[in-house]
Amino acid sequence: MRKYVLPLTVVCIISGFFLAFQLKVQTKSTNYDAVSQKNANLINVIQALEKEIENQENQIETMRNQLNEIQNQNNKGKLQDLQQEIIQAKINAGLTPVIGKGIIITLDDNKEGLLNAPNDDPNKYIIHYEHLLNLVNELKIGGAEAISINGQRLVTTSEIRCVGNLILINTTRIAPPFEVCAIGSPKLMVESISLGQLDLLKTAHYPVALAEKENLTIPAYKGELQFKYAIPQ
Amino acid sequence: MWFLVPILGLIIGTFLGSNISFQLPPIYIKYMSIAVLASLDSVFGGIKAIFEDTFDGTILLTGFFTNALLAALLAYLGDRLGVDLYYAAVFAFGVRIFQNLATIRHHTLTNYRQRKQRNRGVKNE
Repeated sequence: MRKYVLPLTVVCIISGFFLAFQLKVQTKSTNYDAVSQKNANLINVIQALEKEIENQENQIETMRNQLNEIQNQNNKGKLQDLQQEIIQAKINAGLTPVIGKGIIITLDDNKEGLLNAPNDDPNKYIIHYEHLLNLVNELKIGGAEAISINGQRLVTTSEIRCVGNLILINTTRIAPPFEVCAIGSPKLMVESISLGQLDLLKTAHYPVALAEKENLTIPAYKGELQFKYAIPQ
Repeated sequence: MWFLVPILGLIIGTFLGSNISFQLPPIYIKYMSIAVLASLDSVFGGIKAIFEDTFDGTILLTGFFTNALLAALLAYLGDRLGVDLYYAAVFAFGVRIFQNLATIRHHTLTNYRQRKQRNRGVKNE
């Protein structure tokens, strides 16, 4: 055997490996530009984190169910009053699904308006988080007892926040069309929003729909409600 | 027929590289390309050394690893300092690859011509 064969073969294997690997990576990465590749990484991170949140929410839910079972088992005598209190507190906190009379408001971006005015600022034609925030505020003024947006129950810690072209509610991404459900007196709530955000959206030609419903269900809040800093005085 | 073994190695390496499911983070693509150049440089350098009868396996292998590591380190340092030292490594390896290739071509042509002349000489006798 010639003396050059072994070292050269080793180097050849390594360089072949590197070449093929680099070629593979490069052909994959030329399909996107650098920015979108960075974005793809970020998207992966976001998706992983969202999955984690979902898992933890499910965990919270099962634990809550277990807690409920245990609490229901021990309802004798004195405990029964406490039990009642806990149930009431949970309803108030938004930790139970509720059903009742209410209204559903559906909102969407004004796509038609944007198509008719392609040179105009698209910001004028999309639903912003402020719209939802104002709407929720007015629903509360109208005596709404439970509110959800696209299935996200609004509780004391819920945020409505703008994240690029999406809206974040309870750290969950929400996209149009939006469906705002509110339980309460339909008459009062409709009056409250009709003088405010709903009419503003209508005059701006957003596709808005309002419906009353007899048996409206609003889901429970899935996240964590635990205070680390606030303690009862 | 021994020259077929390194070629077989190249094929095996290519096969391994294209079948590996490992995902490289995009920031390291730059370092990977330096490694590619370093390994190519070593391959051509080795072939050149065979032609010139100065081949030494230890030198080839150590040269390969130290070159690749040094180039990666230099590129990393450049990234830290905000100077694109990465291009210096690419340039150095690129120039060397071209020089090695030119030498290899030179030697093959000379060998070919010499053999032809010898054959002709045999016929003429």
